[in-house]
Amino acid sequence: MFNKLINDSASKSPWLYHINSGSCNGCDIELVACLTPRYDAERFGFKLAGTPRHADIVVVSGPVTSQSKERLIRTLAQVPEPKCVVSLGSCPKSGNVFKGSYSVEAPLDDYCHVDVSVAGCTPKPEAIMEGLYKAALILKEKREAMHK
Amino acid sequence: MIILRSLFYILIFPGALFTACFGLFLTGVDRKVVARMQHRIGPPLRQPMYDFFKLLGKETIIPHAANKIAFLGAPIIGFVSLALIMLFIPVGGLTAFSGNADMIVILYLITIPGVALIVGGSSSGSPYAGIGISREMVTMMAYELPFVLVLLAVARKAGGSELAFSMEKVAEWQAANGNMLFQWSMIPAAIAMLLVVPAEVGTQPFDVAEAETEICEGPLIEYSGSALGMFKLNTAMKMFVMSGLFVSLFLGGIRTGFAVCDVIVFILLCIVVTIICMSTTHAVTARLKIEHLFKFYWTFVAGMALCSLILVWCGL
Repeated sequence: MFNKLINDSASKSPWLYHINSGSCNGCDIELVACLTPRYDAERFGFKLAGTPRHADIVVVSGPVTSQSKERLIRTLAQVPEPKCVVSLGSCPKSGNVFKGSYSVEAPLDDYCHVDVSVAGCTPKPEAIMEGLYKAALILKEKREAMHK
Repeated sequence: MIILRSLFYILIFPGALFTACFGLFLTGVDRKVVARMQHRIGPPLRQPMYDFFKLLGKETIIPHAANKIAFLGAPIIGFVSLALIMLFIPVGGLTAFSGNADMIVILYLITIPGVALIVGGSSSGSPYAGIGISREMVTMMAYELPFVLVLLAVARKAGGSELAFSMEKVAEWQAANGNMLFQWSMIPAAIAMLLVVPAEVGTQPFDVAEAETEICEGPLIEYSGSALGMFKLNTAMKMFVMSGLFVSLFLGGIRTGFAVCDVIVFILLCIVVTIICMSTTHAVTARLKIEHLFKFYWTFVAGMALCSLILVWCGL
């Protein structure tokens, strides 16, 4: 019974941690727009956490610059299991307009497992919300797989 | 029989289980009310419950630099002391344990969750936690002085010529003479206490120690999983304990004749106090700087409490 309660809660209180790996700030603004009164992601339990240790879902935006790559990998390693990684915007998925640059090391899935990708430059808040909600459902699956 | 009853008091009714469940519910009410004030729909009332159970299911990471015993022991010490405080606060007509100096015991026990936060933060070995615990210490010093002055004023008012440090006596006095809040000499003390409550709990304008946007939740930065869940539970319980303390000091002694009704009245008053002094201030203010917080408590709030104390001492 207790285990079932914990499994059910896993998808209902996903806390976000946001990493900017050289993003132009466009996706970051849209992510914060999700938390404003107009879209109100908090009604699904989403909350911005201050530190990776508190996070369930890590949102990565930006084309993974050479400077930020090592920090990104270290930060992702600090997140406790079960966790989800969401790539936000086209940059972490493909490199977008920065592809081929000497200082850009996209895509993100070369360095970690990406659960949900929200494409777009920039994605609409509705699309971000749907992506985050899917990530929350994946969290529950992961938690169930951890404790059969 | 007496042992069984004491165990029931400690573990279930005003003690651990009731305080934890109702504290989480009160946090849910707080979040919902703040959301409605900001024109949002807001999370469901059960949201803190989900948060707590989710955190129980997460991996607990202990950093290399941390002292394992202090790191994991601190949240449990905080939990135990908060569950103990509830035994001395009259819930409706029921006080689990009462003595001659309840207020002094409460005053000591209520500092322990703050100290537990300091111990846990300092044992985690993070520089952000270092900044957080120094701010937590300053906050504790700031609200402790007006808090003691308020308790002294209430004790003198209830005791007449001598000081009555027993919560039971305060409740009896209020049952006989009307609520403490409606004595005009006690109104400054009530305002001071309303401002002490959010600082003790650490909600919005006074959450300098756990500022998540500037120092990444300060002392809690390295906590994860069930240890973090315990700290979140402690904050929720503190919310209930402090609002309950306000209700029993200033709005206590309401007797309907039925024990269950008394408890329900107590709970409703706790919700009202939480909405007035925590949710409203959270919705309309931004975080203070630590030096402004200290100055505010030692001038305005302590001044209000002192004013009330002098009035009571003059026999008004």
